[in-house]
Amino acid sequence: MPFGAKGFIRHGLLFMINFDNSATTFPKPPSVRRAVAEAVERYGGNPGRSGHELSMQAAAKIFEVRTLAAGMFGAESENTAFTVNCTFALNMAIKGMMQYGGHIIISGYEHNASARPVYALYRAGRADFSVAEVSDDTDETVSAFEKLIRQDTKCICCCIASNVTGRILPCKELADLCRRYGLCFIADCSQAAGVLDLSLSDGFDFICTSGHKALYGPTGTGLLITNGKYPLSTIIEGGTGTSSALLEQPAELPERLESGTLNTVGIIGFGEGLRFVKRYGPSAIRAHEQQLCRRLIERISARGDIRIYRSECDHVPIVAFNVGNESSHVIASRLSDLGFALRGGLHCAALAHRSLGTLEQGVVRFSPSVFNTLRQTDQLADAVLSL
Amino acid sequence: MNRTLIAMTSITYAMKASELCRKNGIRCDVVRTPSNIGSGCGYSLSVRDSADRVIALLDKNRIPHKQGYENR
Repeated sequence: MPFGAKGFIRHGLLFMINFDNSATTFPKPPSVRRAVAEAVERYGGNPGRSGHELSMQAAAKIFEVRTLAAGMFGAESENTAFTVNCTFALNMAIKGMMQYGGHIIISGYEHNASARPVYALYRAGRADFSVAEVSDDTDETVSAFEKLIRQDTKCICCCIASNVTGRILPCKELADLCRRYGLCFIADCSQAAGVLDLSLSDGFDFICTSGHKALYGPTGTGLLITNGKYPLSTIIEGGTGTSSALLEQPAELPERLESGTLNTVGIIGFGEGLRFVKRYGPSAIRAHEQQLCRRLIERISARGDIRIYRSECDHVPIVAFNVGNESSHVIASRLSDLGFALRGGLHCAALAHRSLGTLEQGVVRFSPSVFNTLRQTDQLADAVLSL
Repeated sequence: MNRTLIAMTSITYAMKASELCRKNGIRCDVVRTPSNIGSGCGYSLSVRDSADRVIALLDKNRIPHKQGYENR
């Protein structure tokens, strides 16, 4: 498998090895870079706005990528909306579902992308929320969610995998719980899409994901995918290129959720990212990256004062660690000086750090991509051990 | 040659319908909907085939379209 060998970039006089791919994958596959360049040169029309050839060519490319994305997640193309990123998708799903009030349950591992919109609704007096504790035992976790269900509960919103530790949450079981209680299930797939096979048929009502992480698209891309069961109120209205004589936002998806000009260049690049993932398959990509995670854990856990935040549960390829009591920011900064890009701090996920007990120290996060190698991982391990 | 315009509810459905037609051997184009048959901007399928056949195909595949069509 032609993985590895390109996970470094020239940064000034220093070659940086990027292990911060959970924030955004870099580098991107060559096919993505070529598609972006071609999009800038050839697909300059505004898709879905005019009938001239430039517009129609761009619209055809957008539809091609939409169909590809829909196919990857077991959705219909019209139920697959492009967003700017996963945060936008989650805001649209959460606020669109909770527009008329009610109660929503989130997990104790949520990113601020879902925790903040939920809290904002609460602060505005428009909805109530509860946070379910996540344990290493699946039944216990599901039971924690179940105990929080009230008569006015409308949704459960949960990440498939934590962006801090990579821990995979029991989302299929939570989807079953939602089905039993008639609740909507919003899945934050940001860290899971591209390394796990995910589908609406797993019981998700909404799949929210970024396009620029393990799906290898450019930044500024994301998806909001629905099974169409729950119509969403909109949080952004505007031009859709259809029914323009009406002031009412059109009901048809995906245009209802795609007001304003689409990121044609990003979406065309994203299409190649999707093809790249499809070509190798999420399980092969994950296997390669897990191998790197295992190597790092093996190497650095030899040092007694390094703590690794992994439970017995399954994980996507992320390793969270700390060195003694040193601030994770300081460790990440020292590793950066040595040529390694890793993220320290709270990773925009205060709830997860509260659950881990790392709100003060944060953690250093190692997140490889397909382009990283065992040799690079060994180099990082040497650097960590030398601190 | 006479063509029939079937107004679609969105560009995405127009593209989806166009793909479906092609798979079923029906030649068609996606065009801007003329103002006299739409509510402002929109897209239509322009087909040379029988509109009834195309509409039956769309209905069978649950692809929404606007009521009525125009021969031109």
